[in-house]
Amino acid sequence: MKFSSHILIVITIFWGFWLDNLISEFDIYLVETCIGFLTVSYWIYAIPERIQSSAALFYGLFVDLFFGTAIGFHMLFFAGISYVIHVYVFRFRIFSYLQLIIFFAGSSVFYLACKYLIFSPENYSYLLLISSFFINALLWLPIYFGMRALRRNFF
Amino acid sequence: MARTTPTHTPALKYILACLLSMALLFSDVRYQTFSPLRGSIQAVGIYSQLFLESFASKLFAFTSTYEDQKTLTRQNAELRSELQKIENKLFLKEQSQRISTDIINMQDRLKELADQRHPQVFKIASFGLKDYLCCSQHILHLQNPSEFDISINLPVAVDKTFVGQTSKKNLNLIEVILFSDISHILPVKINEFHCNAQGTGKPMLVKCIVNKELKIFGIQENIKVMTSGLGGIFPKDIRIGRVLSINKMSSNKFEIEITLDGNPMEHNYFGILASS
Repeated sequence: MKFSSHILIVITIFWGFWLDNLISEFDIYLVETCIGFLTVSYWIYAIPERIQSSAALFYGLFVDLFFGTAIGFHMLFFAGISYVIHVYVFRFRIFSYLQLIIFFAGSSVFYLACKYLIFSPENYSYLLLISSFFINALLWLPIYFGMRALRRNFF
Repeated sequence: MARTTPTHTPALKYILACLLSMALLFSDVRYQTFSPLRGSIQAVGIYSQLFLESFASKLFAFTSTYEDQKTLTRQNAELRSELQKIENKLFLKEQSQRISTDIINMQDRLKELADQRHPQVFKIASFGLKDYLCCSQHILHLQNPSEFDISINLPVAVDKTFVGQTSKKNLNLIEVILFSDISHILPVKINEFHCNAQGTGKPMLVKCIVNKELKIFGIQENIKVMTSGLGGIFPKDIRIGRVLSINKMSSNKFEIEITLDGNPMEHNYFGILASS
């Protein structure tokens, strides 16, 4: 894959995490979005042959560095979700939108749960995870179609 | 649907990646290994943000200053324009008052000259200044927008004296031949001496050429010159000027130079004494 394509992917991932930060600043009760994580998941799902473990690792490193999280956290999760998607990529092709929504919303809730457990266990809440599941489920389709349109224009 | 042939995903690379990530995460969470690096990057981010904010605020200040300046310049231009309008209005008002005063004065003076005639005031349309200052033809034109029936050979006055007579009518313009025109002859009276004063082609200057001994009539310089009324155009005994000089041309031939009182260059309004 061209370097410019990687840049474009990194920009969209950064945009997703920036949006997450922006939304969290409003401090809305039981709302925790994972737009950045869902964006990474989309790119791995859409072009798995181009985003291997190393790419996922570097994307995670960039996110960790620029968003001030502990080095390795996003690397771990990006590599992990990359592996899962790569293993089941052809199965995902025959999935319906609903199945995809459930899978990616569930993945993002797992990511969120780990994030809370590692960095902020006192704020861990099942209610938050449940509400986030629905919120991220709703977010998946706009991200999916938006990124797909972008990919078809630039790749 | 699949864009590539299904292949086996080697787990080893991912396991290594996950192990590396976990190691980094553990060391960072437990020992804050990458804290300085993270702090540096955050500092760079904060500085960048501050720089951008500063730049944006400076840009905003610059644009707002520019806008203020633009507004002030516009207001200044508007005020100047208003001031100019007011000045123009005042000037026009002043001129209008002056013109009214001039016309009233002119009418008053004309009444004195009228001699049972009906005076009318006309504004100048053009004045042949070039010819007036250099050459023999001394003519001016008066406007007649109301199209008064002005016949030719009527006296034309300014102040309390005459300057010429109507000579032609062209459309709405009245042509006036001045006394100083070389083709104009005015019967005048100096003391009891009568002569025909002919224009010299020089501004405000006419001359009489006489064969008589002038001493008999006591004619000398600075004696006033009056209209004689003999031409049938001008009323008699109206002062038109004074003797400027007496030049002897031959043994019994004298030239009396008369300077005129009425200066057509100093007036915009002229009165014509129409027949009643």
